[in-house]
Amino acid sequence: MLKIKNLKADIDSKSILNNFNLEIKSGEVHAIMGPNGSGKSTLSNILSGKKGYDVSGEILFENKNLFELETEERAHKGIFLAFQYPLEIPGVNTNIFLKTSLNAIRKARGEKELDAIEFLKLVKIKAKELKFDEEKLNRQLNVGFSGGEKKKNEILQMSILNPKLSILDETDSGLDIDALKIVADGVNSLRKKDNSFLIITHYQRLLDYIKPDYVHVLMNGKIIKSGGPELALELEKKGYENFN
Amino acid sequence: MREKQIDKLKDYKYGFTTDIENIRAPKGLNKEVIEFISKAKKEPKWMLDWRMKAFERLKNLKEPNWQKPKYPKIDYQDIYYYSAPKSASEKPKNIDELDPKLLETYKKLGIPLQEQQRLNGIAVDAVFDSVSVATTFKDKLNEVGVIFCSISEAIQKHPELVKKYLGSVIPLTDHYFATLNSAVFTDGSFVYIPPGVKCPMELSTYFRINASQTGQFERTLIIADKGSYVSYLEGCTAPMRDENQLHAANVELVALDNAEIKYSTVQNWYPGDENGKGGIYNFVTKRGLCKGTNSKISWTQVETGSAITWKYPSCVLQGDNSIGEFYSIAITNNYQKADTGTKMIHLGKNTKSKIISKGISAGFSDMTYRGLVDISSKAKHSTNYTQCDSLLMGNKCGAHTVPYIKNKNPESNIAHEATTSKISEEQLHYCQQRGLNPEEAVGLIVNGFCKEVLQQLPMEFAVEAQKLVGISLEGSVG
Amino acid sequence: MEEQLKIDFEKLLENSNFSKNNVEIKRKSFNNFIEKGFPNRREESWKFSDLNQIISKNIKNLSFYNDLSKPNKIDQSIFIDGLEHNKLVFVNGRIEKIEFDYEEKNKIEILDDLFLEKPKNANNSLLFLNNAFVSKYFKLIVKKNYSLQKPLVIYNITNKDLVSKSINLKVDILLEENSSLKLIEFSDDKSTTNFININYNLDLQKNSFLKNYKIDNNSNSNIKYYFNNISQDNNSISEIFLLSSGSEFIKNEINCNLNGKYASAFVNGVFILNKTKHHEIKTNINHLVENTKSYQLIKGVLEDTSKAVYQGKIFVDSKAQKTDGYQLSKAILLNDNTEFNAKPELEIYADDVKCSHGSASGSLNEDSIFYLMSRGLNYKEAKKLLINGFLLDVVEKITDFEIKNLIKNIMSLKQ
Ligand SMILES: Nc1ncnc2c1ncn2[C@@H]1O[C@H](COP(=O)(O)OP(=O)(O)O)[C@@H](O)[C@H]1O
Ligand SMILES: [Mg+2]
Repeated sequence: MLKIKNLKADIDSKSILNNFNLEIKSGEVHAIMGPNGSGKSTLSNILSGKKGYDVSGEILFENKNLFELETEERAHKGIFLAFQYPLEIPGVNTNIFLKTSLNAIRKARGEKELDAIEFLKLVKIKAKELKFDEEKLNRQLNVGFSGGEKKKNEILQMSILNPKLSILDETDSGLDIDALKIVADGVNSLRKKDNSFLIITHYQRLLDYIKPDYVHVLMNGKIIKSGGPELALELEKKGYENFN
Repeated sequence: MREKQIDKLKDYKYGFTTDIENIRAPKGLNKEVIEFISKAKKEPKWMLDWRMKAFERLKNLKEPNWQKPKYPKIDYQDIYYYSAPKSASEKPKNIDELDPKLLETYKKLGIPLQEQQRLNGIAVDAVFDSVSVATTFKDKLNEVGVIFCSISEAIQKHPELVKKYLGSVIPLTDHYFATLNSAVFTDGSFVYIPPGVKCPMELSTYFRINASQTGQFERTLIIADKGSYVSYLEGCTAPMRDENQLHAANVELVALDNAEIKYSTVQNWYPGDENGKGGIYNFVTKRGLCKGTNSKISWTQVETGSAITWKYPSCVLQGDNSIGEFYSIAITNNYQKADTGTKMIHLGKNTKSKIISKGISAGFSDMTYRGLVDISSKAKHSTNYTQCDSLLMGNKCGAHTVPYIKNKNPESNIAHEATTSKISEEQLHYCQQRGLNPEEAVGLIVNGFCKEVLQQLPMEFAVEAQKLVGISLEGSVG
Repeated sequence: MEEQLKIDFEKLLENSNFSKNNVEIKRKSFNNFIEKGFPNRREESWKFSDLNQIISKNIKNLSFYNDLSKPNKIDQSIFIDGLEHNKLVFVNGRIEKIEFDYEEKNKIEILDDLFLEKPKNANNSLLFLNNAFVSKYFKLIVKKNYSLQKPLVIYNITNKDLVSKSINLKVDILLEENSSLKLIEFSDDKSTTNFININYNLDLQKNSFLKNYKIDNNSNSNIKYYFNNISQDNNSISEIFLLSSGSEFIKNEINCNLNGKYASAFVNGVFILNKTKHHEIKTNINHLVENTKSYQLIKGVLEDTSKAVYQGKIFVDSKAQKTDGYQLSKAILLNDNTEFNAKPELEIYADDVKCSHGSASGSLNEDSIFYLMSRGLNYKEAKKLLINGFLLDVVEKITDFEIKNLIKNIMSLKQ
């Protein structure tokens, strides 16, 4: 599904990612762990099409060159990024935002757009599954949401948009234990043979709930080690410092 | 020429011209023309005298020039002051008898006038160039005593009300454009809500400029008697032309004890082309007097059109406990210019005012918020809150915020806040990540930015206004 | 008045020996002032303070010529106590002392016979008046890499020998690269009502740092206008604090051009006014290149029938991306006939900027008073505590510790 070859990324001529390689197949769950500032968010930003980086190398998504697609086109194709710091957009109602987003994606895929009633029905179900307070969906997008609420809102959006590749950038940071379970449930319920996940995290804890197929360690801009779930345990014990 | 026009129509869908035979006053500003107007409207002598007084006064006044948008000198002798469709010289009793061309025009503008197609719950007064051509739901309103008609009709049928209130909020001598309007005004709406009546439907006037080289001099007067309520909305459009046309209106509102007037404007006059050629000069004087205790006047405006918009809908808070509000969205794109804001004059005790202004400039345009809050020494326990935000799109446009704040009362409080910013790259990226294209994303974020104001509009118009906000900024996303 | 102006102007030329250039500029400036006269409220920037009216109301027989041939005695008792400092002392418009005892002599230069230039702001008639009547035009240069050991205090003293005159002073200060100066302006007025018109040009070169504290604290009946023109190169910092309190009328105008990247300007001020005093602060901060910053905080406490005006403008050129501009003004009105007028203005032509302004005026917060009274303070004490807190907020912005304490002392002495 996703093939990253020799990805190199600079910002203001400072090298952040270098010789980065990763392949994610349909249905797989990959976890990336790495110290602060190692380039994890940079990777997810580049996958989502954020501007401002000098990039070279190759990223193929379902055999399409990602660099040729705009951010929204990637979203239409099924790439979803749960942001590390979800944005606040004042004045924009969360429900309206979600509906606009869903219909933009459905339209691009040639599917029928949902009317207000159908949409609200869908949201109701999803919100209930994720124990997300529906009243919050009538507020301005992320404005006045707590850190945890913002993260849960990202997961709610993910489950409504039903993406093929979901990238979760430290979605577990700042969540209480109940919220963590809810996020994991959200991921697990989407986990099907055509859907893949890239989960960026610092904590082994989340991986107790979402069993990854692979774990990678990102340091100095590249993956220095890959393995199974046991790698995360090892990392938790040793810390990044002694890992090399 | 035709082709060029059709091409441009994509941007401004109200830019068509209705091909109709007109009756015009001779070009120019003089006694004869004023007499012509007065005669065409079958006005009583006192009205003509009033106009003449204004005309005399005008000779001693100079056009103001302190505003930020400058414009080439207007040749007041090169304008037609009166132009009306020949077929409407006698306003038909029954709307179905109206010239089909006019019916078609309003239908195209989204304002069907005929009985079976009318907008639900909204009474419309349709002003075409210098005359009101139709007013809907008059009978229904009559049943509860609400008078809703053209100002020309009111001068004939309700002279006592007109005499009492016309010029009572904007004095004949107020300033150049107000005085000019007093001399040559043609049509506009008249509303009277009797004591204790809550007007059962929205009232609205739709202003259409059609004839070329013609100025439109609207005059509107709304009186809400004790304990009454009315919500009024005006809309405006004009054909696309290479010339600049002048729309100089005077709007006066009077709210007596416990009365409330809600006045909304969706202004979408032709803004000129992408090179700044043509477009309407929208120079308007709007003022409301909260005359009675506990009265309230609320202005809401969405200003997206016109080459130059220059207006300050104001409130004079004379009655104790009266309330004035001003909610504004002003958008300029290409070479448009706007200098708009409000004045809140606190005279009575416990008066309150609130100003929410959202300015958005794009392209090569220039936007100024100018406002006055004046709390006099007698206006004890009064408050004002002002929030004034500007959004810039690109560095070829300008945003200017000029509030004048005067507090002469130690028991009163004024708070003013203003910010200038742009749409952040991060917000755009977030929306795009969720599948919106850049224009949709900007539309969404800008509508969010304007939300507090959009919420003030009557439901039926809020949706329309939201679309307009998006359309006005088209082509401004790089 | 025009008659008097002409007589006095000729007298000045006769009794001085100005260079040919300066005589020419003076004549032009004089004619320009004659044409325009004192500014009045029809001019936008004098909308809230009609100087023409204020002068004619307060000064009878205003005249313009000062005989500077004889020295004046300096009343040493007014010198600031407990602060070692350098001195420039003007008495009745005449320079009486230049003393830089704490400094390396070759690091400072003082010139006193500069070429006059035509004022850049052609609308400001007071700059023309100043040009016409200024006698010596001083310039202080702080040499490259030098930081003055001690603050410099410029004293402006008037005494009873001066009657219904106008004083015009013009001082330029140049801070060369990497230099720094702490400048205190201190006035002491014992004259009857005069019009004092002072013009400062402050030129901050790269990496230089100016701290400028303007103290107008002693009650007096003079009418004053200060025009401060500041231009700043890369990485320079200006920090201005105004204590606006003593004079009958004073308008402090600050025009600051941020010409160099990473230059920043801080303008903080307090009005403490009573009786019929009328003070104004007007600022124009012009962000002309990228990455510049300005911060303004002005607060006022008004009693009796006093009036304060703040007109603050932030201008951002289309080149000046990444500008950070902030401005806040607040006033507490204590009596029925006090008045606070504000015109905070933003004029912005670049989109990647962060600019905001705020203004608030009104009464003391009764809830806070109530809270303090519930803790045992009486009404007067509670009020005083709140006012001090309100003003202290601004004084705390002063970055020089010693001078901050000095100003705190001066202010609490008053109350
Ligand atoms: N806009 C930027 N400008 C300069 N440096 C940046 C920018 N964004 C990120 N960086 C730097 O890139 C490195 C990687 O950042 P990031 O991808 O956010 O790390 P992580 O998510 O792994 O904590 C850090 O050193 C960070 O400081
Ligand atoms: Mg990160």
